[in-house]
Amino acid sequence: MTTNIPAIDQHAAPTGGSTNYLNNTSGFWSWASTLDHKRIGLMYLVGTTLAFLAGGLFALLVRVHLWEPDGMLFDNPTYNQVFTLHGAFMVFLFVIPAIPGSLGNMVLPLMLGAKDVALPRLNLLSFYLWLTGAVLATLAIILGGFDTGWTFYAPYSLYTQKAVVTIGLAVFVLGFSSIFTGLNFIVTVHKLRAPGLTWFRMPLFVWALYATSILQVLATPVLGITVLLVAFERLYQVGIFDPRLGGDPVLFEHFFWFYSHPAVYIMVLPAFGIISELVSVHSRKPLFGYKLIAFSSLAIAVISFLVWGHHMFTSGQSTFAMFAFSFLTFFVAIPTAIKEFSWVATIWKGSIALNAPMLYTLAFLIIFAIGGLTGVILGSLSVNIHMHDTYFVVAHFHYVMMGSIALAFFAGLHHWWPKMFGVMYDETIAKIACGIIFVGFNATFLPQFIMGSRGMPRRYATYVPDFQVFHQASTVGAVILGVGIALMVYCFVVSLFQGKKAMVNQWGGVTLDWLTPTPPPLENFHEAPVVTTEVYDYSTLDLSTTRTPIA
Amino acid sequence: MTAHAHSDHHSHGALQMGHHHVSSSQQFLSVLVALLVLTGITVGASRIDFGSANMLIAMAIACIKASLVIAFFMHVKWDTAINKIVFLSSFLFLALLFLFTLVDLTTRRWDSYVNTIRTPVDHGWVQPAPKPDAHH
Amino acid sequence: MSHDGHHSVVIPAPGPEFVPHTVAHHFDTPVQEFQAAKLGFWLFLATEILLFGGLFAAYFYYHETYAETFRVGGQQLDWQLGAVNTTVLLLSSWTMAMGVRSAQTSQKGKTLLFLGLTVLGALIFLGIKYVEYSAKNQHGLIVFSHLFDGYDQANKQLPWFQDYGGVMKDVPHGHLFFAIYLTMTAIHGLHVVIGAGLIIWVMKGAAKGRFHAGYFLPVDLVGLYWHLVDLIWIFLFPLLYLVP
Ligand SMILES: [Cu+2]
Repeated sequence: MTTNIPAIDQHAAPTGGSTNYLNNTSGFWSWASTLDHKRIGLMYLVGTTLAFLAGGLFALLVRVHLWEPDGMLFDNPTYNQVFTLHGAFMVFLFVIPAIPGSLGNMVLPLMLGAKDVALPRLNLLSFYLWLTGAVLATLAIILGGFDTGWTFYAPYSLYTQKAVVTIGLAVFVLGFSSIFTGLNFIVTVHKLRAPGLTWFRMPLFVWALYATSILQVLATPVLGITVLLVAFERLYQVGIFDPRLGGDPVLFEHFFWFYSHPAVYIMVLPAFGIISELVSVHSRKPLFGYKLIAFSSLAIAVISFLVWGHHMFTSGQSTFAMFAFSFLTFFVAIPTAIKEFSWVATIWKGSIALNAPMLYTLAFLIIFAIGGLTGVILGSLSVNIHMHDTYFVVAHFHYVMMGSIALAFFAGLHHWWPKMFGVMYDETIAKIACGIIFVGFNATFLPQFIMGSRGMPRRYATYVPDFQVFHQASTVGAVILGVGIALMVYCFVVSLFQGKKAMVNQWGGVTLDWLTPTPPPLENFHEAPVVTTEVYDYSTLDLSTTRTPIA
Repeated sequence: MTAHAHSDHHSHGALQMGHHHVSSSQQFLSVLVALLVLTGITVGASRIDFGSANMLIAMAIACIKASLVIAFFMHVKWDTAINKIVFLSSFLFLALLFLFTLVDLTTRRWDSYVNTIRTPVDHGWVQPAPKPDAHH
Repeated sequence: MSHDGHHSVVIPAPGPEFVPHTVAHHFDTPVQEFQAAKLGFWLFLATEILLFGGLFAAYFYYHETYAETFRVGGQQLDWQLGAVNTTVLLLSSWTMAMGVRSAQTSQKGKTLLFLGLTVLGALIFLGIKYVEYSAKNQHGLIVFSHLFDGYDQANKQLPWFQDYGGVMKDVPHGHLFFAIYLTMTAIHGLHVVIGAGLIIWVMKGAAKGRFHAGYFLPVDLVGLYWHLVDLIWIFLFPLLYLVP
């Protein structure tokens, strides 16, 4: 998608002292009240990263506790709170908002050739709702914590004497933060595409965010009403989830998973989008099966509404419903496999640059293959009955959520870092960090597949000694993983102060985000771009002009 | 979408929000009368015992009323295709929530082993806990 | 904010009693701004449908489970008051539609009149709702003073459900109908309150002459919100008052 943008081709390297979105205004208030999608993206990046580090700390505490069969650190009720905090922080404050909120906000309007998202005030509101949710979640810890697991299953969540109403409110608010981001992106994609940027010239990250947004808008409200109803149950005993009052806890699970299965795709589709961009740019090849990948995102979005019952195979659904949900679940594998194969086919015979973003991408491709295939195993009813609520499930969704989504997020961060800040991190350190993370991740979660298949149940504070070797391997892996992530964060932070100037177009990308000045100015483009060529067409890009450092 | 996504914007030279269909007062009044009449029919139909068809009838009339409000008062009849799709798809996805939860609920009675564990009652499902007694 | 010599687009006022509208700087044309806001609002309304949809799903789930409870429970509501309230909301939906039409045709006085009538409809609706809640309170079907007392596990009693007349004693879990009734109507009522507030807010703008044939977006959007409130009630009325 090389484009006809005279202003950018001629002044590819802005002259020294030029203003960009980072330095055009300064002061706390200029950030707190900003309507610039790029600054809001950066605030999301800082916020979600802090939430990730907090969630990661809770994870390390859980892993250290499980070093001994009787537990090392906590009594059982405290352990319940710590694993709940890990899940709730990671899911609601990091994995769901992180990619759309930070990289999506930063890159989507750039890729569309727009000056901003369509509704900039709503965008800022989304961020403040996220912040409110984070404050409420922290408040819930102070008010006694919560020990329900991130899933808030009734009836336990109705009876436990903990701050469930507060965390419910936090989830409600975070839900609307997510809804408004999705709503904004849909409107932006429909109404603010640059002239000539047809639907099938849109980069696949945009397609992925678009499909994600549909899910955010259509699924999240049901989570909202579900957590509200849990709060109401605790406040005035509505009774619909409470078996003492004639209610059916299975209805809670229906409501919860109506959102939370699609939510898995709210989390993973943006990651798919990042990987689609990166395999193309760093292999210097147009994407294999561009339209297939675009449509498979939409197909995943729709199918994901038909399969939620696979989380409830041991909850007392009817046999017929379980059969239907299991059958439908297998269909998710088709569009997902289309993507995986297309990525691999894109790399095939490409001009591969083994830089840090590409290493993370390759790590993603390996890990996601494992995470996705074990999902098919768990989707089959008869196997699931045995594997349900074991570490096999824990390992499966960590291969997807941590191994795939977080790694894709890291890949995207390394990819767009020079664009966002105009500086490059130390590539060697970044690659070493990537290697440590890959090793640490697999060391943490491969043993969990094994002990899960042998019957180790999830969420237990203690275990029989037979499992100790797996738990200890997992804990060692978690520490390695933590070291890798710390090194990555260090590498990023140092680059802000000592990093070399980035190149004008660091990786030779041809989507519009790489054709703005680096870092972009306030309204992104000095001259409104007009798109005249197809997407991922690298033939017309003169690499020699992209390799000049920014002034 | 055409090659020029913005073409629809550029084609409007006038400094207005675009060309809008403005409904006639007469039409709004007719819709209002229809809605009030249908409300009467809803009440009337509820007085006659059609068995389980009462629910279907009530919901069918409500859907007609809703369609009138959506099409005329909310102006969807003259709205853009994407706005129509967005609003109507919300009902479609809501239908999925209804469909699967109710399929689960109503097919539980096929599972004979459940009924041997739990005591079946005449409304086809169990009362898991004694009801709270009323007091005066 | 403008740059490179691009100035913001201004929609002129059609008359001296109106003020012009400046298009937000990141849009190229008024049409783009209008369509973006409208699409965004339709998406928001879709989320409202799904939010309420959860409550309706719960209704159908328990209507299927405890049909008798719902039938007897529905008889305890005053269907005549419900029908009056339905009429009030339908009328207010009509005045809202007329209000939007008046803004579209640059009739400032009529716009204010119809919007004012819509707020009046909202207030009448809430007044009747209050009367209904009081009756439920009187019969012990929803005892508001004990609403948040919590479930009395030892005596298996729900303090807010006392059923003085014993009307629900022969059906299982009679409180469920009233809990669902309260939850659905309260959340709907909250939307009525928010809707009325939004209408008053656009009335202030209308009084300043901000809405006319060239720019009536806020009136249009608030109108859509109000019709949604009506839409939900169209389903609530037969389901709660005339339980089929
Ligand atoms: Cu799932």
